[in-house]
Amino acid sequence: MTSPLGFLRSRWKEHSQRPFLRLVGLFIGRAFHGSGDVDGEELDFSMGLVLSLLALPGAFYSILLFDKYGSLLQWMHGNRHFDVLTAALPDEYFLIVLSMVVTGVVAVWRWDSIFPDRRDYANLVPLPISTRTIFLANLTAIFFVAGLLALDVNLASAFLFPFVATASQETVLFFIRFSGVHTLVVVLSSLFSFFAVFTVVGVLMTALPYRLFRRISLYLRALMIAYLVAMLSTSFAVPAMLEHLPQTPVRFLPSVWFLGLCQWLRGRAGLSLADLGKLSILSTGCLILIAIVVYAVSYGRCFKRIPENIDTIPESNRTGAAWMFGLLDRVVLRSGFQRAGYRFVLRTLLRSERHSLVLGGFTGLGIVLASQVLFAAFNGKDVGIGTPSAEILSIPFILSYCIIVGLRFAFGIPTELRANWIFRLLLDKTMPECIPLARKALLTFVVPWVLAVVFPLHVYLWGWVDGTLHAIVVSLWAALLADILLVRFRKIPFTCSYPPFRDSAIVVVVSYVIGFFVYVVLTSQLEYWMLLKQVRILLVVPLAVGIWYGLSRLRGALIDVDKELIFEEKTSLGFEVLDLRT
Amino acid sequence: MLDARQLTKTYASVPAVENVTFSLAPGQILGCLGPNGSGKSTTVKMLTGLLEPTRGNVLFAGEDIRKDLVGYRKCLGYVPEEPNLYPYLSGYEYLEMVGLLRGMPAARIRKRVDSLLELFSLYSSRHGAISSYSKGMRQRILLIAALMDDPKVLIFDEPLSGLDVTSALILKNLIKSLGQQGRAVFYCSHVLEVVEQVCSHLLILRRGEVIAYDTTSAIQNDIGRSSLESRFMHLVEAGDTEKTARDILSAMGEA
Repeated sequence: MTSPLGFLRSRWKEHSQRPFLRLVGLFIGRAFHGSGDVDGEELDFSMGLVLSLLALPGAFYSILLFDKYGSLLQWMHGNRHFDVLTAALPDEYFLIVLSMVVTGVVAVWRWDSIFPDRRDYANLVPLPISTRTIFLANLTAIFFVAGLLALDVNLASAFLFPFVATASQETVLFFIRFSGVHTLVVVLSSLFSFFAVFTVVGVLMTALPYRLFRRISLYLRALMIAYLVAMLSTSFAVPAMLEHLPQTPVRFLPSVWFLGLCQWLRGRAGLSLADLGKLSILSTGCLILIAIVVYAVSYGRCFKRIPENIDTIPESNRTGAAWMFGLLDRVVLRSGFQRAGYRFVLRTLLRSERHSLVLGGFTGLGIVLASQVLFAAFNGKDVGIGTPSAEILSIPFILSYCIIVGLRFAFGIPTELRANWIFRLLLDKTMPECIPLARKALLTFVVPWVLAVVFPLHVYLWGWVDGTLHAIVVSLWAALLADILLVRFRKIPFTCSYPPFRDSAIVVVVSYVIGFFVYVVLTSQLEYWMLLKQVRILLVVPLAVGIWYGLSRLRGALIDVDKELIFEEKTSLGFEVLDLRT
Repeated sequence: MLDARQLTKTYASVPAVENVTFSLAPGQILGCLGPNGSGKSTTVKMLTGLLEPTRGNVLFAGEDIRKDLVGYRKCLGYVPEEPNLYPYLSGYEYLEMVGLLRGMPAARIRKRVDSLLELFSLYSSRHGAISSYSKGMRQRILLIAALMDDPKVLIFDEPLSGLDVTSALILKNLIKSLGQQGRAVFYCSHVLEVVEQVCSHLLILRRGEVIAYDTTSAIQNDIGRSSLESRFMHLVEAGDTEKTARDILSAMGEA
């Protein structure tokens, strides 16, 4: 006789074999793994890893709030009547924005995988399954993914933030109520963000001709990401503007509606904020309904007509790219190899989904950390931006560190390994140009914005001397970091099989964290100290020369075989047999 | 021009190719035939320098290619069996990259690529992503990449794969013309008729060994069979193909 558990298990097994649930599983898996084109040796992001990464920003932010809410610290600061709900308002807003941004970015990134594509059409339509079943299975998968994302992105902060914020309170009931309201609000804001992206895509897919939609798809994604990033990086300024509701234009920001919901549920909202809170519920409901309708229409219009559409990738802007490469060829790129390699690296980074994801992920992390620093610098402190402070100085270091480390990480991830035969065929293995190529590619993603944004902005804020010195130090440090990360680099980016990351994952992660503190925290403190007396900035010169000398000695000590170009990364064995015969 | 001497390649002590020896003179078109697993691709990879022989060597103009691999490859055009290309690059971008890697000046690359794209009917789609190309279009990109730097030696591995009838006819005539111009061509294929029509010499491999190597007409005369197909089947000791087809049909009918 089978136990009830065994009976349920066998029933579920039987049920899960049905075509509908198999299809749902297929679509859910594809939303996380993409189209499944990953080669055996290439990097694939497992669902567990993706979900863990998405939960990290909220967890980090919550942990960093310990010093703000700690009862001992409050007591030491002489703050006897600490009002948690008032103090938590800016943090609550930041977490709402963070959850909307992370979910929105994921939705923008995966939107090709959300809708069934040509591959699904080719594989599923010839099978004896109705297109209605495919539609319903995909819709179910979309709702499942949206719910999972909303829970996952906020999972850590839903527990940690209330735990940290209410640590000084005596009743468990307060914690439960605080946590319940926070969780409800951030999950709803995540759902809003996901379905907003989904609806925009669906409407455009329905309204525009297929080729036009494909053509503008990339620009639209960039626009959405820019909006989300802007929302995050301005989050420090919004809570202070709530006092001027309903006149202030921040009432049009959906993130403010959800803050209104939070305050309304806590009984702390004024009339205007409570109205915005009600609007958040209404808008989320409407958005979900519109998303379903739009999806049904776009499914009928696009999926069923896939065979009629030619799958094209937008043509490159030949004139602009040719002008840029022509200039770089004359000024920076010295040889045919560097010219070919540089074009290859840039195009891969911008067009390969896996690589743009890694770069986008690291850059996003940089933006989150920079926003957090900016937020902390202004939140409750009387910080002026008219004079340099270590916090403001650290922002370009944070961004450049995350971008350079992200690029270096992405360089190790192969793309289309089987296509690297052309490099194997045409290149000289002993050619020592891999490091200059990789260095130029890394600095391409840092130096332009340092010159175009950091330099003029700081000149405007702090004057010519401090602004110029800061831009020089950031560029110099970025170049040094690039050289440190490339010290044993001997491959063309993206053309070498991926090393077994798990062997050294902990060492790599720990090194990156230590590197962050040295590169960002120590350097910005040092620079702040130097800028207090500008002559001290001369100390940067012997420091940089010393590091460069050390790196060149290290590189010179490598034997010839360790400098040769490689296309396969070997696993380091626990032991190896030495052939010592002469 | 190109000499393979006692070429041997073993994988985990299992020989994939053993003692393969032949010469390829300027103007010669050498066809390489053999069933699957006969060692054709391994031989091609050793000829291009992509694979190092376990024993033996490849000589170019009397010198071992390993002495100056880069110099040798500058004289080599190679079309691999599979059109493995970077799908997110456009056809033009891929060819530009190949030209730059070959050290060609930018102006020459532009001129050469444009004219070859035009001749191979790819000019209008040159800025489209390779991922949107058909197999035949990708094959033509590989052909242009092999021809663009005016190579002295050409190695083709199944170059007609995926090409339409017109392109295939153009390529066959082109290969003949390349031979007449004095270039050395090594041509691997499964299509016996094409080899018969195009190649001046034949190399037939079976289980990694050379079982026939002579001029095409000499091989035809030696065995005295009516068609190259039947001669090939005889040489490689292929089984009864009609019986295998019948067996497949009966397997399909089984429960």
